[in-house]
Amino acid sequence: MKERIIAVVTAGLTVPSSTRLLADQLAAAVRDALDGRGTPYKVEIIELRDHAHDLTNNLLTGFPTESLRKVLDTVVAADALIAVTPTFSASYNGLFKMFFDVVDDKALAGKPVLLAATGGTERHSLVLDYALRPLFAYLQANPIPTGVYAASTDWGAGATKLHARIERAANELVNTMSNDQTASVDPYTTPTPFEDLLNG
Amino acid sequence: MQFGVFTVGDVTQDPTTGRTVSEAERIKAMVAIAVKAEEVGLDVFAQGEHHNPPFVPSSPTTMLGFIAAQTSKIILSTSTTLITTNDPVKIAEDYAMLQHLADGRVDLMMGRGNTGPVYPWFGQDIRNGIALAVENYALLRRLWREDVVDWEGKFRTPLQGFTSTPRPLDDVPPFVWHGSIRSPEIAEQAAYYGDGFFHNNIFWPISHTKQMIDLYRRRFEHYGHGAADQAIVGLGGQVFMRKNSQDAVKEFRPYFDNAPVYGHGPSLEDFTRETPLTVGSPQQVIERTLSFREHFGDYQRQLFLMDHAGLPLKTVLEQLDILGSEVVPVLRKEFEAKRPAQVPEAPTHASLKAAAEQARELETVSPEVVGLEGTR
Repeated sequence: MKERIIAVVTAGLTVPSSTRLLADQLAAAVRDALDGRGTPYKVEIIELRDHAHDLTNNLLTGFPTESLRKVLDTVVAADALIAVTPTFSASYNGLFKMFFDVVDDKALAGKPVLLAATGGTERHSLVLDYALRPLFAYLQANPIPTGVYAASTDWGAGATKLHARIERAANELVNTMSNDQTASVDPYTTPTPFEDLLNG
Repeated sequence: MQFGVFTVGDVTQDPTTGRTVSEAERIKAMVAIAVKAEEVGLDVFAQGEHHNPPFVPSSPTTMLGFIAAQTSKIILSTSTTLITTNDPVKIAEDYAMLQHLADGRVDLMMGRGNTGPVYPWFGQDIRNGIALAVENYALLRRLWREDVVDWEGKFRTPLQGFTSTPRPLDDVPPFVWHGSIRSPEIAEQAAYYGDGFFHNNIFWPISHTKQMIDLYRRRFEHYGHGAADQAIVGLGGQVFMRKNSQDAVKEFRPYFDNAPVYGHGPSLEDFTRETPLTVGSPQQVIERTLSFREHFGDYQRQLFLMDHAGLPLKTVLEQLDILGSEVVPVLRKEFEAKRPAQVPEAPTHASLKAAAEQARELETVSPEVVGLEGTR
């Protein structure tokens, strides 16, 4: 069976961060779900903090550095994406948005995505649906119905309920992924023939 | 192989003095650069076309015509001519006129232009960029090749019984390059017609540029214009040189750090590593430029961007002196020694005229050849 690549993009700013903690738990749940199905896989964790300067430079110059390009290639080629951000000023943080501003706007089309966010209070939980979901709708990605939001309290007494949400989301992601077999066409390898362009 | 300079024509403040030249000074500086380019032995001067500040060259054939009168050898070209927002009829006429005035020392590079607001100023929409480039260029080719054109398309008024005047010099249309940084459709267009393909190669990593050029070469062969290594490739590059490498870096750094395109972003060191920008000694520029051949194959035209980031004219002219005396002579020799026999030079008016005459002779000779065969 083909090895599945799961890319995890996490936009936490501190080390360690609760955003990374949530990302790790989501990745672990997806691993469990894939193990249960006997699917071979590889998980690639991408800490956006490590690429913050390269992201700024990409916005200014229009092209990614060698190391950022590898990260972008990994995310674009992945079978599924887990995207996790802290909630800042009622939305995803700037680092998270910078990354998805730099990804080609058609590159994530059809990709199964698990949306997740952390925040100081559960009052921000709808950030998943009013901020993250529209962004991935624009990118024509395929976000699964369950998003996972973790507030500070979820790391204590709320942990059981959080784990249940994580597990549900992981299963949805894996189910969506197995249905998704679309291969994208590389325009540099297979260009549109010129007669087609001439005929508009 | 041809070597030359290309200029964007930006008015940019010199960050070391705080001085910004006037439009008049900048326009005259561009002329001085073109004249100097010929004087130091370069083959090509190409200028951009822009219709928004801080750029001055909105009227390329006016400037190139003026330069043509002050030069006698250098090829006058564009980088680029906006095939999207210009009327192809005016391009056909303007550049045929320039061809006559410059005795054939003219070619063009087609480009789309990436400034969104410019399109509506000329009645167009940037979202149609590729479609405009395809339709307008198809019409332009016919206007140069057919004396009377009937035409109808999506983007301009139909033409009935239209003759573009003057006709191209010697009935040989100017050679055309197509410039694109990242659109595979444009590499495909250049390959389809057997035209040249130019990659500006100044802000992007080698890996990306190679992807575009490889595509163009492969499709050039696919469309039957010759082998992939015979496709006509041009590359840009940007350099700043001083005798000692450290002096070049020290002098250029404030210009780099404040440049409109990449300033306040990556470090000079990162940018020179990731892109073809070379800041150092003439020998370093020679080595870097020769390395392009390793990545992209033998190619026909190398243009350098020299008057950027607010560098004063005096410095740019010094740079051209170094380029012409220390860099290009070595590059000419090295590239020529490495070029396999089947790889052609870039077409010029003289070579295209000779090819057209040869084709006409073959046409008139062939019936006799057939006749002779019949008697055997």
